[in-house]
Amino acid sequence: MTIETSGSNAATEQAQEVVLFEVHKKIQVRAVSGIFANWRWTLVWFTQLLFYGLPWLNWNGRQSVLFDLVERKFYIFGLIFWPQDVFFLAVLLIISAYALFLFTAVGGRLWCGYACPQTVYTEIFLWIEQKIEGDRNARVKLDAAPMSARKALLRGSRYAAWVAVALWTGFTFVGFFTPIKTLSSELFTLSFGPWETFWVLFYGAFTYAFAGHLREQVCKYMCPYARFQGVMFDPDTLVITYDEERGEPRGTRRKGSDYRTQGKGDCVDCGICVQVCPTGIDIRQGLQYECIGCAACIDACDQVMEKMDYPKGLIRYSTENAIAQHWGWKDIAGHIIRPRVVIYSAILVAITAAWLWGLATKPVLRVDVIRDRATLAREVEGGLIENLYRLQVMNVSEKSQNYVMSVTGLDKIEIAGDSGIEVAAASNKSILVQVRVPPESGKKGSNVIYFDVKSRNDEKVAVHEKATFLMPQ
Amino acid sequence: MQRLLVVLWPSFIVAGVAEGIFFTLIDPRELYLFGEPVHFSTIATYSVGFLVLWAICAASSLLTCFLQRTPGEINGGGCGQRLASLAGH
Ligand code: SF4
Ligand code: SF4
Repeated sequence: MTIETSGSNAATEQAQEVVLFEVHKKIQVRAVSGIFANWRWTLVWFTQLLFYGLPWLNWNGRQSVLFDLVERKFYIFGLIFWPQDVFFLAVLLIISAYALFLFTAVGGRLWCGYACPQTVYTEIFLWIEQKIEGDRNARVKLDAAPMSARKALLRGSRYAAWVAVALWTGFTFVGFFTPIKTLSSELFTLSFGPWETFWVLFYGAFTYAFAGHLREQVCKYMCPYARFQGVMFDPDTLVITYDEERGEPRGTRRKGSDYRTQGKGDCVDCGICVQVCPTGIDIRQGLQYECIGCAACIDACDQVMEKMDYPKGLIRYSTENAIAQHWGWKDIAGHIIRPRVVIYSAILVAITAAWLWGLATKPVLRVDVIRDRATLAREVEGGLIENLYRLQVMNVSEKSQNYVMSVTGLDKIEIAGDSGIEVAAASNKSILVQVRVPPESGKKGSNVIYFDVKSRNDEKVAVHEKATFLMPQ
Repeated sequence: MQRLLVVLWPSFIVAGVAEGIFFTLIDPRELYLFGEPVHFSTIATYSVGFLVLWAICAASSLLTCFLQRTPGEINGGGCGQRLASLAGH
């Protein structure tokens, strides 16, 4: 009995797997133009100018955005993040996540449709495909055609162009982590480091596979956001909707014919909305999890409506409630403010404010005091007891600074040698400090002392750090 | 192919996060390997670190995948099928 169940289970699972593979046909996307396509292209340009351009931009004599892994410092224009600032980065991630929740609750999958790198690179790769192999019909034909010199040439040049974009993307990516100017000079002298080469190829290969081949499968099977986006949706969330009442029953007809008396709706059943859909779904079947909200079907359908002299918006941005209750834009806008949105916004504003406040008051000087473990206490000339400390002085400001250090907490405690420290802009210095005390000043064992490091030019830049001083038994 | 993605992809994401956390807290120059300070360049340490983390996470994903399958499926291609066909399927 048990055996039988497990056997049939296996069989069904196998059947499912076969279906999974069968269902996935290569989707040839038809190009589309229109206002939402323009928006998407605007965002493609904007995000990619930032991505490809930022590493080349200078700021204060250094790369404007550089996640310097070797020096363990992140530069984002005037901001410098040290490993100690990881908290700021974590909060920044939380802020981004909340912003995403908020946008999704209000506008659906705006991120997916316009700004996600997956969408952006797919758009770029599709554009290349289109330029080289022609429009959708031409490509479907080419796919079906037997291999010929022409097909090989077209395919070859398409792949070559894809590889070029992918490599450039990989190179830029690495350029965010190692100074891109050094990288590019290494490129010309062919002295690329092995790991740099590895990461350029790695990221390039990812870009190539995701944007060239996996495409909608990334959204369908791999993206975590796509899996849980549903929980942020409610009946007042803007989604791409087909107006079923207006469109059905669909059917072909001649332009200008009185289709209503024939009992037909506005949908001419041309199938163009399906052809332009990057995930290959039919929006007329209602909102589906695969829909990335790219609005390509809106643009496509509007063009058809225009040709037929019907009002636009058979497929449009709307909400579940609006469709059910025939609301106009005013009602939809009126329902933007609702508890979910208010809560998301309130949290977002609060965290952002706290983050900004934290950034503004971020200390410009940090000092870590570590007792030198190798030597405990020792007696030096004049009968004084000496302890050794390592001071890590971090100058987080943009100017080089002069500091002076002092030590308190015990009678006649003093620093042997130079008490001035100079630290260059945005860097740190580790120094060995000898602290001396007459034996009678402290009790045996550990004593609390304090280090003070102050800037010579700015009174307010000061750090007070606790440490222990060991007296020999 | 799909199985491979199911193993490699989640482990890639988790390895990325783990790499971020690990190397924020630990300076690669302070790492010891078999009692010797790590002598790779920093970039190499980060890279090897990531690949090792990825491999570890992938092993875990692989095990999950493995445990999800029924004994019938695992014990030889067709074992489950043979039993199923015996049972009249
Ligand atoms: S589903 Fe995921 S990968 Fe696809 S567009 Fe949306 S966020 Fe990007
Ligand atoms: S159904 Fe429309 S909006 Fe959704 S993914 Fe397809 S084309 Fe884009």
